[in-house]
Amino acid sequence: MNGEQLVNLTINGRARAVRATPATTLLTVLRDELMLTGAKRGCNQGVCGACTVLVDDQPVRGCLSLATNLAGRAITTIEGLGQGRELAPLQRALLERGAVQCGFCISGVLISAFALLRQNPTPNVDETRAALSGNLCRCSGYIKIVEAVCGVGEEVRS
Amino acid sequence: MDFYRPTSLAEALSLLAQQEGARCLAGGATLVAMMNAGLVEPSGLISLADLRDLFGITSLPDGSVRVGATTRHVDTAQSTIFRAGQCVLPAAAEKIANPPVRNMGTIGGSLAFADPAADYLPALASLDAVVEVASRDGIRTLPIGDLVIDWYTTVLGVEDIITGVIIPRAPGGSIGVFEKLERTAGDFAIASVALVLAIEGGVCSAARIAIGGCAAKPVRLKEAEALIEGTRLDDAVLVKAGRMLVEACDPVDDVRASADYRRLVVPRLLVKTIARARVALGAGS
Repeated sequence: MNGEQLVNLTINGRARAVRATPATTLLTVLRDELMLTGAKRGCNQGVCGACTVLVDDQPVRGCLSLATNLAGRAITTIEGLGQGRELAPLQRALLERGAVQCGFCISGVLISAFALLRQNPTPNVDETRAALSGNLCRCSGYIKIVEAVCGVGEEVRS
Repeated sequence: MDFYRPTSLAEALSLLAQQEGARCLAGGATLVAMMNAGLVEPSGLISLADLRDLFGITSLPDGSVRVGATTRHVDTAQSTIFRAGQCVLPAAAEKIANPPVRNMGTIGGSLAFADPAADYLPALASLDAVVEVASRDGIRTLPIGDLVIDWYTTVLGVEDIITGVIIPRAPGGSIGVFEKLERTAGDFAIASVALVLAIEGGVCSAARIAIGGCAAKPVRLKEAEALIEGTRLDDAVLVKAGRMLVEACDPVDDVRASADYRRLVVPRLLVKTIARARVALGAGS
């Protein structure tokens, strides 16, 4: 296979055929072709975490995933977390606690936190910090982010 | 650039041989990052995603464990197959980068890139692991100590594919501990120590020590291990062994630390790692 090809992916529950060369990353497909610009292109090296999305329910780097290699897989982006215009409880928790500063990292943070909460609905601070260790916030607003994610768990508990 | 998704190892080897400049794609955690940075421009990508024999962890009848090349760090970190000192491998996997990268990166990819500060190499060195390599001539094995021949350089040829790693049975009653000094969680190591240790009646009956991040390849020194074995792991012995290991290291100055700092810290890391192992073995610190 050479040049641009159609690749079948399921994006936020919808079957999509996207154009990609072998070197086209999932992040490029999402942002530049599907206009799903929630996932951000920060370092493009897999370090910053702003591009984190779910592939078959597991968080991965959008910038290090080649779209062609993901044929047939299910992708969830930040745009797919809520129900329509209704925010997910996790998203509301970050808003209510003022955990969003410049916002660049937040899509990736939410995806990592969403994956954490699905595995462990009541994470403690250490578990949350470990799960978010691959998401850099250069505003360094970690404390409120961690509080918000743990807060969702506390609501589940109570 | 061409993209191939072979369904057999033979097909993958044949594609790799046919197309000059083609690269195997496993998790993409290193290769795609390098492509994004413009550091490599493969003429083709050969996805290993459909080669099922390359994926997964299996225990073999003789007590050894085979980790397929495309097994992800998360799978190795969470596996309960490893026994005794073999557990240094999942311990190292758990320290690689962060959860999203561990969901992508593979042991074969990590070995092929041979970053001296990466976590698997010292762990595998301490376990006397064997690397399984396929070429059109068949499958061959090589000791982990023979894999890396220079900084970021392996002995592998362009037509070779790493298919797996064999972890031999570890000494009975041993424990595996991986200690990593890092600037921040998930960074590459400034220095690391992979340790397989067994203690019988307060006396060290087996010690295998590999130092990571302080030379082109993990540093193992039989003399230092022999010095420790048969002792009660007194401080004086550990300090001497640490000094011997530092002598065998060849660290460089880089963005993470100076060579001098690494020389300073390696003996202390060794003491810390052995203390952790003693606590875990219930032998006191």
